[in-house]
Amino acid sequence: VAASPLVPEIELTIPAQAEFVGIARLAMLGVASRMPFSFDEVEDLRLAVGEACALSIERLNGRAAGDTLTLSYRIEPAALAVEVRSPLTPSPAEATETGPLADVLIRVLMDEVTTEDQPDAGLRVIRLVKNAPG
Amino acid sequence: MNISVETRRVDDGIAVVTVGGEVDVYTAPRLKQALLDLTDDGTRALVVDLNGVEYLDSTGLGVLIGGLKRARERGETFRVVCATPRIRRIFDITDLAPVFDLDATEADALAKV
Repeated sequence: VAASPLVPEIELTIPAQAEFVGIARLAMLGVASRMPFSFDEVEDLRLAVGEACALSIERLNGRAAGDTLTLSYRIEPAALAVEVRSPLTPSPAEATETGPLADVLIRVLMDEVTTEDQPDAGLRVIRLVKNAPG
Repeated sequence: MNISVETRRVDDGIAVVTVGGEVDVYTAPRLKQALLDLTDDGTRALVVDLNGVEYLDSTGLGVLIGGLKRARERGETFRVVCATPRIRRIFDITDLAPVFDLDATEADALAKV
């Protein structure tokens, strides 16, 4: 059976609520499984994307029922890049006790992590990159 | 909800909370409530068994930290059972392994309370 061509990018939008983070992790599993990551690396990716979503949701703190998170999973030649985009808030929720732990986990598990505010687009973008082995 | 939390008394003042499934930002409040229910109810030693847990995130770790802090404030024992390498690794990455009294089995933990 010939290998199917890699899908370059998959986008997923979920409500900015904790109960939907599992869907973002499930999509991560599906995308990462198409790349030569080990089982542990796939689990690392699932955990990191879950933490990025949780951080985004905690920052919004139920601000508006209609808030959403948009995730882009991009299969690059030598890496998997995930962006988590959430609404930029003028007065984010106070930092939680687990926020620093989430930061530590993401930074240890991923090869590259950046957080960028895009005021013109009204978005905060957390970008995670995991290099593919080999 | 993909989590199970069961509390049982194994002896006078000793409780075991057995957790299974996924402990994440959505499900962690159930574990938190189970631990809070054991506060000020005469429990002097608490064992949280994570060997059935398949996924643990920072929210779940935060709940365990909260349980440990409450136990220490009251002079109680709080032990965590965690033998799954994948879950144990999360304690290691966050430098929390030395903070908790981690045991491989529930029997090991109960022998120390």
